[in-house]
Amino acid sequence: MAVLTAPDRTSPARTPAQGRRVRGPRRTPPLVLAFVLVPLLVEAVWVFWPAVQGFYLAFTRWDGVSPPQFIGLDNFREMAHDDVFRSATGHTVLWLVLFGGLSALLGLAAALLLQQERRGVGFYRAALFLPVVFSLVATALVWQAIYQPDGVLNQLLQSVGLGRLRHAWLADQDTALYAVIVPALWRQIGYVMVLYLAGLKGIDPALYEAAKVDGASAWQRLRHVTLPQLRSVNAVVLSVIVIDSLRSFDVVWSLTRGGPYHSSELLSTYMYSTAFQSLRLGYGSALAAVIFVLAFGVICSYLVRAFREAD
Amino acid sequence: MTNHQPDRRRFLAGLGATGAAALLSGCVTSTSTGKSSSKGAVTLQSNLSAPQAKAAMEDLVAAYAKKGSGKASLNTVAAETYRTQLPTYLTSANPPDVYTWYPGSVADAYAKKNLLLDLDEAWTTSPDLKRYTKALNSLCTSTSSGKKVFVPSTYYWWGMFYRKSNFAKWGVSEPKSWDEFLDLCDKLKKKGVNPIGLGAGGGTAWVASAWFDYLDIRINGAEYHRQLLAGKHKFTDPEVRKVFDRWQEVLPYFDPNGAAVAFQDATTSLLNGRSGMMLIGTFFADAAPKDALDDIDFFRFPIIDAKIPLAEEAPVDGYFASARTGRRDQVIDLMKYLATAEAQEIYIKGSSGTVLPCHPDAKDAGTALVKKGRAHVAEAAEITQFFNRDSSDALQPTADNALTKFLAKPKSIGSILTDWQRDAEKIWNA
Repeated sequence: MAVLTAPDRTSPARTPAQGRRVRGPRRTPPLVLAFVLVPLLVEAVWVFWPAVQGFYLAFTRWDGVSPPQFIGLDNFREMAHDDVFRSATGHTVLWLVLFGGLSALLGLAAALLLQQERRGVGFYRAALFLPVVFSLVATALVWQAIYQPDGVLNQLLQSVGLGRLRHAWLADQDTALYAVIVPALWRQIGYVMVLYLAGLKGIDPALYEAAKVDGASAWQRLRHVTLPQLRSVNAVVLSVIVIDSLRSFDVVWSLTRGGPYHSSELLSTYMYSTAFQSLRLGYGSALAAVIFVLAFGVICSYLVRAFREAD
Repeated sequence: MTNHQPDRRRFLAGLGATGAAALLSGCVTSTSTGKSSSKGAVTLQSNLSAPQAKAAMEDLVAAYAKKGSGKASLNTVAAETYRTQLPTYLTSANPPDVYTWYPGSVADAYAKKNLLLDLDEAWTTSPDLKRYTKALNSLCTSTSSGKKVFVPSTYYWWGMFYRKSNFAKWGVSEPKSWDEFLDLCDKLKKKGVNPIGLGAGGGTAWVASAWFDYLDIRINGAEYHRQLLAGKHKFTDPEVRKVFDRWQEVLPYFDPNGAAVAFQDATTSLLNGRSGMMLIGTFFADAAPKDALDDIDFFRFPIIDAKIPLAEEAPVDGYFASARTGRRDQVIDLMKYLATAEAQEIYIKGSSGTVLPCHPDAKDAGTALVKKGRAHVAEAAEITQFFNRDSSDALQPTADNALTKFLAKPKSIGSILTDWQRDAEKIWNA
């Protein structure tokens, strides 16, 4: 009885509260409003506003000192005839395919390999993830030493009798871009692996058991259970890869600065050197706008499709 | 209660409208016209971030405070950051007062935009500045207003550096003419030494510009060189082509890794005797071990055409001030102090000591190398600064691209020069 009457006794006191809760969705408390508007304002001032400024600058000629001069679409017209822009776009696409594709494949492979709980597996996971902890600039410095004409890589080649492959890896236009991709990949694989490990953990083991009972081979289980189940993680991995590819800058800049003579130039390094070395901030902003459109376009189209499928 | 939502929507619309209005006024990109406060110490913005140079600047500021006429507060910024931030400093509403930087066309570009303080008063009232050479006078004068905008303090020189002990060991001596120079290269190569070190890789591609500068001032003269960098001639001209024809004569003697290693590594090779000589500025000695320092010597870049007036690269460093400073009188006082022999001696004593003072009476570090360097520059009829200082930092990357490409593919020089001209025009017209 006491149990039954207790709610009765407290109910009169609660009624107004319940009443307010019913009307709740229509009226937002000022505190909630503040929680929404204050961050929005901060975001507007520190993120949206500079972004809008950047788009405005893309239509100007500006040296960073005099007031910017509005020149309409001239920057984009120049871009259409700019060989360096064209080759930088090509390199960025190549980067996206090699860096993105390989890091996704190798990251997934590493995750599949290290998903089982065995003794010592934690060590290997940590070892693969470790490069993510280092700053890319520090990573680049280490790799720069490896690639030196008298560096580890060339000495290794010499010692195994491949001396004729010795190379100035970063100073040769044929190898510079690939030499820069390797350290970036070295780091990214660990990151993608962690994303996939989390995804693999979320797969219901009952699915595998059911597949096994139906006589599915290991390959069939991977193809028809694991991969479809990882679809939502794929969306995240793809976004991360596209964004990371397009903003890849630090490792390229610290290793080659886009050189020698633009042979490892990406859109991001070209944007930086145009804006802050050549002091053509208008054209640099136009390049930034193109990078934004590319990243945003790729990711939006994928996310829209992914969510539509999910519905 | 339901009418709250339209209210909120109206509020957001209002927020958007204010944003749009602010956008139209363009407050980030507009140049403001404030004045900095007139109280307190003069702020001295310095890019001399190497440990010794930074300590030397601290000594200098302390000595100025001791003198009692004013105070300066030093703010040292990493060199690369400083270079990209300088336009922002100068155009900000509340700028630092005094800056370390370069005279000549670099300062002149800022002076043309009315960003630099007129320092005529310092030059006319300072007994020290009155005695500075004519060359320094014209270097510090704005070409647009005819006013002085810069106070020079020190300079250094470029030359073909080598180790005396190594040259003695190899049995070779300093060449005077271009042919002797080629002979020397040939002898060194036969001894299994890389005759010429470069160091235009690993982020220091600009070092290669020294070769372009020197060949151009030896073949076409300093006047042509300056006009070329100012956009009055074309990189596709036959005169420029001659520069690269000469360069191709010595290219086989360059260290094959010249474009792969940074100049710091190239100078290490020089000191270790793996390469014979190197065209470099005295700043490389900052990192040299003390015992190697006495063994370092240099010779003049060989004369190619005796009819061309002798020119040398001797970049001058010094100070300019923001036109928006609110402490004009204090700035002038500090500038006059920086021009004294005392101030320059304090700096040279504290730093690595391979720079030379601009004041005619100021003592240099007194080593044999520095004495030779002073005479070396004094003999020159014309002084050039360096590629970026005679043009602009914005033109430097175009040279870096063209020259590293030339080092890798000397045969495609025609298309390289066409590309260089096209890239340079974008900078000149910007």
